[in-house]
Amino acid sequence: MTTSTVTTPRVPDGVLGALVDVLGGEHVLTSRTARFNRARVPAPFPVHRWRERVPDLVVLPGTAEEVAEVVRIANAHGVPIVPRDGGTGLTDGAVPERGGIVVDVKRMNEVKEIDLENRTCTVGTGISMLKLNEVLAGHGLIYPDNPASYPCSLVGGRIGTSGWSLIGARYGHTRDLVLSFELVLPTGRVIRVGDGGGRKVSKSSSGYQLKHLFMGHQGTLGIATEATLKLYPKPEAEFSPFWAFADFDSAHRCVQRLAHAGVATFAGAVLFDERKVEYLRRDDEAYIPQPADVRALVCAVAYGNEDEVRAGGTRLMRVARAAGARYLGDEISQGDWAARHDRYATPLHGRTRSGQVAPMSWHCEDAAVNWTELPAVRREWHAIVDRLRGRFDVFDDWGMFFYTSADTGVDYLTEIDVGIWEQELDDEAWAAWVAAKRDIAAVALRHGGSISACHGACREGEVDLVPLELGGGYDVMLDIKRALDPRGVMNPGKYGLDRAYGPSPAEPEGGV
Amino acid sequence: MTDSEPCSPAGAGGPAGDGDRRSPATAEFLADWRNAAYNCFSSGHKFCREVCPVMQVTRNESWSPTAFHANVVAMEQGELTVEDVAEDYVNCTGCGACELRCPNTLFTGDFYRFRTRTVDLVKRVRALAVESGVHQPGHRRWNELTEQRAHEPVLGDVPVSQEHVRDWAHGLGLPVGGETILFVDCEAAFHRTSVPRAVAQILRLAGVEFGLMGEQWCCGGPAAEMGYRDQARRFAEHNLADWRAGGVRRVLVLDPHDYVTFTEDYPAYFGDAYDVEIVLVVELLAKLIEDGTLTPTVPVPRTITYHDPCRLNKRKGVWQEPRRVLRAIPGLTFHDEDRVTQWSYCSGAGGGLPVERPELTARISGSRMDRAAALEVDTLVSACPWSERPLAEAGRARSIDVVDIHELLAESLGIEVGGSTGR
Ligand SMILES: Cc1cc2nc3c(=O)[nH]c(=O)nc-3n(C[C@H](O)[C@H](O)[C@H](O)COP(=O)(O)OP(=O)(O)OC[C@H]3O[C@@H](n4cnc5c(N)ncnc54)[C@H](O)[C@@H]3O)c2cc1C
Repeated sequence: MTTSTVTTPRVPDGVLGALVDVLGGEHVLTSRTARFNRARVPAPFPVHRWRERVPDLVVLPGTAEEVAEVVRIANAHGVPIVPRDGGTGLTDGAVPERGGIVVDVKRMNEVKEIDLENRTCTVGTGISMLKLNEVLAGHGLIYPDNPASYPCSLVGGRIGTSGWSLIGARYGHTRDLVLSFELVLPTGRVIRVGDGGGRKVSKSSSGYQLKHLFMGHQGTLGIATEATLKLYPKPEAEFSPFWAFADFDSAHRCVQRLAHAGVATFAGAVLFDERKVEYLRRDDEAYIPQPADVRALVCAVAYGNEDEVRAGGTRLMRVARAAGARYLGDEISQGDWAARHDRYATPLHGRTRSGQVAPMSWHCEDAAVNWTELPAVRREWHAIVDRLRGRFDVFDDWGMFFYTSADTGVDYLTEIDVGIWEQELDDEAWAAWVAAKRDIAAVALRHGGSISACHGACREGEVDLVPLELGGGYDVMLDIKRALDPRGVMNPGKYGLDRAYGPSPAEPEGGV
Repeated sequence: MTDSEPCSPAGAGGPAGDGDRRSPATAEFLADWRNAAYNCFSSGHKFCREVCPVMQVTRNESWSPTAFHANVVAMEQGELTVEDVAEDYVNCTGCGACELRCPNTLFTGDFYRFRTRTVDLVKRVRALAVESGVHQPGHRRWNELTEQRAHEPVLGDVPVSQEHVRDWAHGLGLPVGGETILFVDCEAAFHRTSVPRAVAQILRLAGVEFGLMGEQWCCGGPAAEMGYRDQARRFAEHNLADWRAGGVRRVLVLDPHDYVTFTEDYPAYFGDAYDVEIVLVVELLAKLIEDGTLTPTVPVPRTITYHDPCRLNKRKGVWQEPRRVLRAIPGLTFHDEDRVTQWSYCSGAGGGLPVERPELTARISGSRMDRAAALEVDTLVSACPWSERPLAEAGRARSIDVVDIHELLAESLGIEVGGSTGR
């Protein structure tokens, strides 16, 4: 059933016309398909409630000035604005909660400058890292922001989420790699933020350090339109050994010795737990077969100059062997690492309790957890998902990964992958899932971690615990939100920031 | 692990109550496509986005392979109707890149014995629209004219007709009929006549015996792609009947679009009774060069790159043979680009896009030619007549010549091709 609430834009009179004047009719979309297709991201949700998330309008601006005009119009009329880039975020950041205007920045994808001397490039935020690197390869350079969503996430979304990179232990994460960016504030004012004022400065001490503030805000503080990025030489060599273990505990010990080894070309290590190996073996046709006594895996990866990678690799091999690791050979090592992006979260099907195959969506719950806490968090998370699966036969535990975030082993991106049979997800199962998400987040906090290492924490469930995690810092968030977005138009509903405006959310005119 | 069939969720008809409002055609469509659509929807990875030629130039997420699948889920939920979605599905060239880049195809294919079939889905939605009375004006007109003339109206106002379908062969003295015939697509037969002329003369030089078709109609593939299924089927039936009447056992095909139609659509229409061998000319030529029957000796002093036609490279996995042919031609400097890199390249000429959205086709071919320009070539070689018109137009602005692989080979074999390259 279509409802009249989603057939005609509910924005106040004059807004549509004003937007068309700024952007031209071609770039203001009102069709139902345009709006429905910008109402979701890959994270599973109850499909029968899709319509609750549909925006009123979609705009496709081509320049920062156009973005600024759109924001000014929306701000003047109190209409919600939702920034959207690749639409691959896993915390629903780009999903409208209050209708309004989706500002889809994908058209702003040009490479504006490549500065070979200072090793930077300046791009529109609608570009993907994959496409950018195709251009940079011609200069022997690379922009090494490398999430598992490398083929599909875009630079603006990386800023909006303050993304996490698989090889961040060597090259840093999005926050380290983005030197500065142009930002349209919720009032339509355009500013540049970076380390200090210079566009290409990597370390400054002047003024407040605003770059961090305007990254990871999930589109609640503005829209990044252009970014200047730090570039590296395209690595000559890659080394990506996979090692097998008979149990999780020995793999857990080994991964930290690798991180502690101080190898300069070390770009990261990943630990697969027993449930993950079991799942891949059971359901991933592409998984390269391994002996049955393999129950946990560690993969490390090193990048850099040929001679350095070789030397570093020899040391990593020695460290692993001393920790009881069994090297799985070149085929598995190269094949599996190369497939990291493509196979990520696939096979996209799971099993019901009776073992029957069902098409399932992937949901990834992630947290930042210290190495010492990983075994306990792992036990508790699996128990939560087991209980959930016991009650509703639409969930499946696809195991856990642990990835180094830094080059010292201080903390790990800890994720549990849960298969969810969305087609069968009714309101009751969804409510149980939301409660489980809250429990999962609570475990991370109890163990001294953070609710999310990479995706953000504004989905139902975990979002409730963000004030608990941040304490007084959360109150500062509310103050900042109110100061920068007095009418509450930027991505309203996210992170519970409605609280910044008193008991009830700001009511836009025109009854949105 | 192939023991388990994916189970089908309950509520296959969608939310209660909506079933009544749906036409039987829509209900049938949803029953066929709901699981495939959900496989994409549940992934939502959008790895396809940056290889999609339409997405690359428009950056409009409504026209992405992901949206094409998600719409089906929304239709099932009763949120969208065929009227809502039909126009979006114009924005596809049928190149198939998205299918290759899909994580479902890459990795779960074996498990489900399933692959993502966006190209089929787009055709299917277009057909549903047409059958529901929702037409795209350009597509409708194109197919009406094709129906009237039995050929696609590739010359615009200049009518094409049965009397002229063999004009390209003027002066070559080719026989009509025989066990082996050469099928020439509408674009090559009427517009880029140099291509069939080159092919015919090369084959004759190699001693391949073949004739022309008795009464050749359009293959019907374009009508099928634009959703005019009945028309497509009628054309196929005519052509097959003509082949049968003439005792044709083997059809030589120079156009990748025809090749797809004859090897995929026709078998689907006619089943096991369809026992005609379909031979792709460029594959045959590669073989004839390899076994020494043909030896190109005249140097062709051009700096070239090769454009992998989507329907050969992405849809049929044919990419080696054209390169073998090119490597056999003396005098060429060949700046090749990897076929996987070329998954994201397209001329924009396929799937009825130029009929309905010529400006998008122009932007897609422009971006393809920018890639060629970056290689500092003077010539782009294609193996698909349909691609050559928009690519040549884009090439003019960049001073890059667009030449068909058959024309180039003929030149190196010392053949005076003749005909028109449409230039
Ligand atoms: C298969 C898969 C693997 C993944 N692996 C990783 C991983 O390894 N590491 C990781 O960090 N993430 C990962 N993710 C999650 C996701 O890709 C990241 O969160 C990514 O940064 C989102 O980028 P996007 O362009 O898709 O943004 P979107 O989803 O469009 O937006 C994300 C958020 O940023 C805001 N936003 C968008 N554009 C702008 C802008 N221009 N200015 C300000 N705010 C903006 C949005 O409002 C939203 O809140 C993965 C996702 C998938 C599907």
